[in-house]
Amino acid sequence: MATETKQPTEDVKIDLFEDDDEFEEFEINEEWDEEEEGKEVNQQWEDDWDDDDVSDDFSLQLRKELESNAENEKK
Amino acid sequence: MAYMSMGEAHRRITEYLNRFCDSISSQDGASLKSLFSLSSNSHFLLSVADALNLFQDANRLIKQSEKYYQYAEILVPIFRSLQSYKQGNLVESYQSFEKSSNAFIQEFRNWESAWALEALYTVVYEIRVLAERADRELASNGKSPEKLKGAGSFLMKVFGVLAGKGPKRVGALYVTCQLFKIYFKLGTVHLCRSVIRSIETARIFDFKEFPKSDRVTYMYYTGRLEVFNENFPAADLKLSYALKHCNPLSEANIRMILKYLIPVKLSIGILPKDWLLEKYNLPEYGNIVQALRRGDLRLLRHALQDYEDRFLRSGVYLVLEKLELQVYQRLMKKIYMIQKQKDPSKAHQVKLDVIVKALKWLEMDMDLDEVECIMAILIYKNLMKGYFAHKSKVVVLSKTDPFPKLNGKPVN
Repeated sequence: MATETKQPTEDVKIDLFEDDDEFEEFEINEEWDEEEEGKEVNQQWEDDWDDDDVSDDFSLQLRKELESNAENEKK
Repeated sequence: MAYMSMGEAHRRITEYLNRFCDSISSQDGASLKSLFSLSSNSHFLLSVADALNLFQDANRLIKQSEKYYQYAEILVPIFRSLQSYKQGNLVESYQSFEKSSNAFIQEFRNWESAWALEALYTVVYEIRVLAERADRELASNGKSPEKLKGAGSFLMKVFGVLAGKGPKRVGALYVTCQLFKIYFKLGTVHLCRSVIRSIETARIFDFKEFPKSDRVTYMYYTGRLEVFNENFPAADLKLSYALKHCNPLSEANIRMILKYLIPVKLSIGILPKDWLLEKYNLPEYGNIVQALRRGDLRLLRHALQDYEDRFLRSGVYLVLEKLELQVYQRLMKKIYMIQKQKDPSKAHQVKLDVIVKALKWLEMDMDLDEVECIMAILIYKNLMKGYFAHKSKVVVLSKTDPFPKLNGKPVN
């Protein structure tokens, strides 16, 4: 580790001129099929996920936890 | 380098000069563009560079003929730039390229039609990537990198040439996108504001008339800016536009859009399906989505820790951290549903003790006061409807819609 201590400071300096998420260039006047646009990706969202279901593992464990505590209290 | 005779060198240089002048007189944008495209490393340009290094007196050739001489201010520095480029001296190459580009936009300004727009795009692109490489060279020699900043100023000048009325305006968005790339790299994103204002207030020009590739790029960057400003509804609109219209074959670009759109969607209560995370290789969001579904505060905390570095770098960490309130909401709803199954008549009363215990199970040590404070925030933010009975230490939930959905709006 000790020998690598110089590395991080160098990295930070170069970081100043980085954007990890630089959009890739399209070709000039690149065209693509409008029909295909966003066909798949736009249907991949859920806004009605907040259901009343409590039969999943997490809820079952939570229930167990709350119930065991309730019993402890009675003792 | 293969051997080249002096005569051959002379012939190549003359060919460049003729191509240059002919492409202007015949208004051949594609041909003109190729003469500026250093980064293409085209065989022709490299061979001209070799020729220039051999035949030291190219400037005399330019001066000898009126045909060439009228463009001397473009040609002399572009030759110098090509020579330096071939010799690997990128700072020199950049400086000469900028000089040539300046002279080029003076000419461009005088051409009435937009025939040379493609060539201008190439100049704009080349100057940006050349500046980046020049800065790397400067930095590695311990000097301060400043060329990219200079390229930004140059592009602002180009933007000014295009942004008025007339047929050249269609090119303004391309230049804007190149400016965004520079400003995001330099970390001076506030400089985007003036170009954005100019694009968005121009009534004379419909946004839809810009090329699609530029519209998508523009919406990606302005969407990212809205994320930084925490303006989530606007970020959603812009990034969703970019996602919708992006070339479906540009997977890397789609992935980048999603990297910002997903946190935005989460913050307004919309979840991505697993398919999306898998297809575009975004595993960092998997557990965050799971934490929201479950109401699992522990999982959220771990998910943020696991990818802390990545989230901080892209600037979405704070957006994701704020999801905590939604996870609390979900946990309260789970507790409520569990109580309801047991005894529906008492389900709307949740004892603070019970919440403390649930949190303890999730490895969050909080006392009654702290939990009370969180409940007050949930009620205040309209994530939970009800009131808090301080004396009996009970949260009394509203009987109608105790956990309102966000419905695409951010937590207020």
